[in-house]
Amino acid sequence: MRQSRNVVWLSAILLSLALVASACGGGDSDSPSSESSGSSSPGSESSDMDDPPDTDLSGEIFISGSSTVEPISLRVQELFNDIHPNVLIAVDGPGTGDGFALFCSGETDISDASRAIKDSEADQCAANGINYVELQVGIDGLGVMTNAANDAVECVSFADLYALTGPEATGIGSWADANAVSAELGGAGNLPDLPLDIFGPGEESGTFDTYVELVIEHPAEERGQDPTTRPDYSPSGDDNVILRGITGSDTSLGWVGFAFANNAQGVKLLDVDDGESGCVGATPATIASGEYPLSRPLFIYVNSDKAAANPGLDAYVDYYMGEGLDRAVAEVGYVELTEAAKSEVRAAWAR
Amino acid sequence: MALTTIGTAARQGTTAFTRQRRDFAGGLFKAVILLSLIVSLAVLAVLIVDTVADGWAQLSTRAWDFLNGSLRSRSIDDKLGVKQGLYGSLWIGIIVAVTAFPVGVGAAVYLEEYAPKSRWSAIIELVIRNLAGVPSVVYGLLGLFLFVERSTIFGFLGLGWLADATGGRSVLSAGLTLAVLVLPIVIITAQEAVRAVPTGLKEGAYGLGATKSEMVRTQILPYAAPGILTGTLLAMSRAIGEAAPLILVGAISGGLTRNPAVWDTSGLREKFTALPIIIVEWVSERGRDPGFATAAAAAIVVLLVLVLLMNMTAILLRNRFEKKRG
Repeated sequence: MRQSRNVVWLSAILLSLALVASACGGGDSDSPSSESSGSSSPGSESSDMDDPPDTDLSGEIFISGSSTVEPISLRVQELFNDIHPNVLIAVDGPGTGDGFALFCSGETDISDASRAIKDSEADQCAANGINYVELQVGIDGLGVMTNAANDAVECVSFADLYALTGPEATGIGSWADANAVSAELGGAGNLPDLPLDIFGPGEESGTFDTYVELVIEHPAEERGQDPTTRPDYSPSGDDNVILRGITGSDTSLGWVGFAFANNAQGVKLLDVDDGESGCVGATPATIASGEYPLSRPLFIYVNSDKAAANPGLDAYVDYYMGEGLDRAVAEVGYVELTEAAKSEVRAAWAR
Repeated sequence: MALTTIGTAARQGTTAFTRQRRDFAGGLFKAVILLSLIVSLAVLAVLIVDTVADGWAQLSTRAWDFLNGSLRSRSIDDKLGVKQGLYGSLWIGIIVAVTAFPVGVGAAVYLEEYAPKSRWSAIIELVIRNLAGVPSVVYGLLGLFLFVERSTIFGFLGLGWLADATGGRSVLSAGLTLAVLVLPIVIITAQEAVRAVPTGLKEGAYGLGATKSEMVRTQILPYAAPGILTGTLLAMSRAIGEAAPLILVGAISGGLTRNPAVWDTSGLREKFTALPIIIVEWVSERGRDPGFATAAAAAIVVLLVLVLLMNMTAILLRNRFEKKRG
């Protein structure tokens, strides 16, 4: 008797859990959106969207790789699924290297990457017979800024930036204090003797990672330092807060994503010298051409054999090459390619 | 009579003694332990208030949409929400309950009632206790090799079929991984509950001619039920809050088209996400899009409510069973 009551109670718990779940999902059976449609019932759901979704196209796509590119691929998925709700797409972002490991073992259809594929990774792909197309989709750029009223600085070199913001800069309060380290790295060492207030993204930010990777990692490694910034600056996850900091101090230094920096008021974008090609101003043109050194290309790598076999995947990349390049890249905060570069990428995909 | 007199005298003596030398150390001790209680409660209160305040913009204006929404690329999106994670977490909870509960209780009853007390059983107990303390990432790796990839070791052991059965990076793999993670906890709590069954009850059953299995069914399990259930539900709460093992078994962080209803069992072998994964993802996305900070806080509140509901169920169940047993 007791025992059977226990069973009743146990089923009651499981049932109540299921009820909680179904209550949460209550609105979902009558919603026409892409999300409730499983692959098992193509064409059976009704829709009240402007464009009737094309339910004929189906397939599954697994995208993994860079967490920087992840939002672009996700944005393209959202737009694409409004039209083709039965193409089931999963976008993951464990990192570029992990992404290539999965891609070259044939597990993923598309690999997002914030750098070009390495030789070792390409060898791995070749060994497993994975054929792919490399498509650049956008650019991740950084703008280095100071206050608009600061006339003393026009151009900073990578050596200067390392000396000002790297781990060895901990504690310095004047731009000139960085000259010694900058000179050691081959910089000009002519920074002015002005108070230094630094504002930048916090460690949680992808912009922080990009900055460390482009500016700090290499010299820090050579000099046996940790590849990170100095800890004593004002970090923020919110670009607007960084901007307020820079406009609030006459001799400030800061960096944010280029798309944001380019539209900011009251700040001056500094020219950047990578130590080889001289000072380059940060403009959409120099970023798109790759001349401006504080930028990196963002790629997707598409498994071409899978694209040939999977119409859903093929259509998704087609869409990526259209609305993706023209709309999604800018919407999630990255720099669009130039029209010429877009045509080139589209041509590469069409081949 | 004489004893009473001595007792009274002793009591008077103590009173006189403490009155003379006031109990400073005792008072101090009481203050310190009270303070530690206040500190831990205050930290919890600050955490909850802060999280709810951070997530309020989402929760107050679009709570229902937030519960019904999915992973999106931008925080300003009508469809942003946690449904996929909520379903993933609920499924993980159900899979853990369905698998870890019977296996754990069975193992506990065997160890307590059937296993001969030898050096071996002592070693097994020790191993189980140590397993309960192994970091969850390690279980994540085990899950990766056992349920997700067809690894050579487990293929060699004849367990390669597991990865095929689970569908690889699926919610089933995640649920089973977390079931293995909480299994030692379920066994230990169930063992303690079984051990607490009065010997008189067992002997009474034997005295009435019950066999061992009848005794286990009619006496031990009903008597130990509150303890076993509490332990299982607490283990489920633990499983639902884990993020690290899920990252290893391949929970999706970016986005999923598929968003099946929770009763749709075909989703079991599909790619999935879970609430802790969504929280980690949104916290890291807030650098690109600060609005995700609010969404992450709101998702934490949803997870907290879910865990609190489960713990509440555990307490209600225990009370109910104890009353019945009483």
